[in-house]
Amino acid sequence: MAAIYTLYIIRKSGGLIYYYGSAGRMDTNDSLRVASLWHSMHANAISQQLSPVSGCLGIELLQADTFDLHCFQSLTGAKFFVVCESGAQHMENLLKFVYELYTDYVLKNPFYHMEMPIHCELFDINLTQAVEKDRVAFWADEIHIQLLSHFYSD
Amino acid sequence: MMYVFNRNGVCLLYREWNRPLRTLDAQQDHKLMFGLLFSLKSLTAKMDPTSAVEKGNLGMPQLPGQGCSFHSFRTNTYKLSFMESPSGIKIILVTHPRTGDLRESLKYIYNLYVEYVVKNPLYTPGSPIRCELFNTTLDQYVRGIA
Repeated sequence: MAAIYTLYIIRKSGGLIYYYGSAGRMDTNDSLRVASLWHSMHANAISQQLSPVSGCLGIELLQADTFDLHCFQSLTGAKFFVVCESGAQHMENLLKFVYELYTDYVLKNPFYHMEMPIHCELFDINLTQAVEKDRVAFWADEIHIQLLSHFYSD
Repeated sequence: MMYVFNRNGVCLLYREWNRPLRTLDAQQDHKLMFGLLFSLKSLTAKMDPTSAVEKGNLGMPQLPGQGCSFHSFRTNTYKLSFMESPSGIKIILVTHPRTGDLRESLKYIYNLYVEYVVKNPLYTPGSPIRCELFNTTLDQYVRGIA
């Protein structure tokens, strides 16, 4: 239930098909480069060759000083990854939920060509709702707790 | 497993305690590991959402400590913990995926490195580490935290 900074969806070949940023858009070229870099590092060649045991499916979580990056890979090879603040919980569920939204609003859309950038309004609306709802719920909880403590302290 | 690299990419130390699968020979393995870490560092510096200043392009070499750096990543079969000192020494530990936060351990290992390796008058910086005392202390410590 924490702030989500950006969300990327990349296709099997590594190209970026969707980008959502809560704090304004990154430069398009940069977001493309970042997405393809992530794809190559996550993919078979690298993190799996370095694995000490067999059966590695790629990077699931990357922790940095100021943010976390969670990645979900579908069975078809599409990758969903989200940049959120450190210590965020339930990101796995959020990513699975986004995957469901993707199958419902994008893949079932007859005007959508496979592997092309996503321009479906319903998908955008529902995604923004799902992402913002987490933040609103978090704030609502905060305010609720403050009100309660105020009430009980009187 | 554990790797130690210096700022030029020379692998100063590689130790393994349990590695059932090995896909590449040692040289390739080291190069791949260093390359992966270098790219990941520049990627995290670029993706950092909290930095006010826009960093340069993705390929620009970063000084140690400049920009946001990652400290670990996890896959379903292993977890890799990473620490870079201000002098460019990178310490990497590859462990079981459910290991906790190893940043303190990495700092301790860096201190061991300073004590046993850097202060050793017979050691030349930039060459692979061959100090017995360092190896044994390291083994003891790692088996203690495992």
